[in-house]
Amino acid sequence: MHVILDYGLGNTASVLKAVQAAGFKGTISRDPVVLSNSSSIILPGVGSFRDAMERLHSLNLVNLLNELVLEQKKLFLGICLGMQLLGEVGFEDGETNGLGWIKGSVKRIPDQGQRIPHMGWNDIKVLKADSLGPIVDPNFYFMHSFFFDAEPSTITSQVHHGSDITATVQSGNIFGAQFHPEKSQSSGRTYLTHVLGQSC
Amino acid sequence: MLKLRIIPILSFNGFALVKTKGFQNPRMVGNPTQSARVYNSRGVDELIFCDIFASKQNRQPPISMLREILKECFMPVGVGGGIQTLEQISELLNVGADKVIIKSSAIRNPQLINDAVKVFGAQCICIAVDVEKIDGKYVLFDIDNSRLPIERFFTQMNDMGAGEYMVTSVLRDGTMSGFDCELALLAHSLTSQPIIMSGGAGIPQHFVELFNQAPVAAAAAASIFHFTQFTPLDIKNALHQSNFPVRMHNTKAA
Repeated sequence: MHVILDYGLGNTASVLKAVQAAGFKGTISRDPVVLSNSSSIILPGVGSFRDAMERLHSLNLVNLLNELVLEQKKLFLGICLGMQLLGEVGFEDGETNGLGWIKGSVKRIPDQGQRIPHMGWNDIKVLKADSLGPIVDPNFYFMHSFFFDAEPSTITSQVHHGSDITATVQSGNIFGAQFHPEKSQSSGRTYLTHVLGQSC
Repeated sequence: MLKLRIIPILSFNGFALVKTKGFQNPRMVGNPTQSARVYNSRGVDELIFCDIFASKQNRQPPISMLREILKECFMPVGVGGGIQTLEQISELLNVGADKVIIKSSAIRNPQLINDAVKVFGAQCICIAVDVEKIDGKYVLFDIDNSRLPIERFFTQMNDMGAGEYMVTSVLRDGTMSGFDCELALLAHSLTSQPIIMSGGAGIPQHFVELFNQAPVAAAAAASIFHFTQFTPLDIKNALHQSNFPVRMHNTKAA
C-alpha cells in the first residue's frame, strides 16, 4: 500500500487517483501505523515551505518520517513542495529548516526576465536516466515559483526556465519531483510506475 | 523550453455547460463530466471550469459535481465561479482542482487574494480579468459595474501577489472572430505574471496571430471546440508549423 501523507496541504485526491491509475494500491493517511506498514510514502504539497514544515512538526510527523525513511529506508517520493521540503532550508516566507535529507536550499527561481511562476508544460533534461526510468515524452507539468538548489550529485534531471533548475532528485530510497506527475498525463504515469515500482 | 498552453474552457450555468456571446444568451452545449472525459482522452494541456453565473446568482462552487468532473482529469484544472473564502479554495483544491480563478471577490475584496497567495502559493491563484472597451479605454466588466481601468486593477492584483491572469475580451466572447491582440499585448505589459488570453478564437490561425502579436503564456477558448471540428491538437499543429513551442505528444488517453 502506497500512502499519500495527509498533513493538510497538498492535492492528495489527485495524487491518489494518479497512483491508482498507474496500477498501485494507495491510500491517504497520517496514521503512524498505516505509514509504518506502507510500501512507500508520498509527500505532495501545495503551499508555502514554512507552513508545510510547521504542519509536519505540529502533527509530530518529522521524527516518524526520519525513522521510516532514513533508518528503515522506506521508499519516499516528494512532489513539488514535497520535494522542496527534502532540502536543509527554505527561503519562502522567511527562513525555515526543511527535512534536511538532501543537501541544498530552496530559493526563488532566478529572475532572468522570464515569467514567474514557472507554469505549464516543459521538457526535462535527463542527467541520470536510471533514476528516471523510461521517458515516453519529456514534457511534464510544472507550477512553482521556488526551486530546490540541491547538491548536484543528487540531481537526476533539470528543466530550463530562465536558467537550468532542478526537476528531479534522488538519493537512495528518496525521490523528489518538482513537476506534478499526477497532472502530467501519461508522462507522469510512467514516472510514478517507475518510482513506486521500486518498493519492496 | 516552456510550451504555450492551449486551454479549453467549460462554462457552466449551474445545470449544464453553456456558451455565451458577448457574455449573454447562454446556449446549452453539453454535459460537463462527459466533456471533461473527452478533453482528458485528447490529452489537453490544461482545462478551465467556470461557473459563470455563480456570483450573480450568489451560488457556492458546485463541489460535489466538481468532484465527479475532476475524477476524469489527469491534467491541471483551474476552477472559477463564486469563490469568496479561503475555506472554499481549500475545498476546491481538496477535490482535485489545481488552481482557482477569482474575479468578483478580487474586485470587491482584494485582500482575499493576498491571504490566498500566502496560504496556497501564487501558482494557485489566477485572476479573471473580463474586459470591455468603453470610449476607447479598456475597463473591467463586472457585476458591480465598477468600470475600473484595467491598468489600476492589474497594479492592485500584482501588489496582492496573484500568480496568473486570465484575460477575456467580452466583446469578442463567442464571436469566433479572433482574439483581441491589442488587449493581450496591453495585459502582458501590465504584469510580470503569466497571461492566459481568451475571447474570440474561431480557427487555429487565430492562435497563431495571437502568439505572433503578444507573448502571452496561454490561450483559452470554448466556441471553437463546441461549434467547429477543430480540436486542441489542430491548434497545436498550426502553432507547431509556425515554430511556436507546443506539446505535441500525449494525445492518447492519459
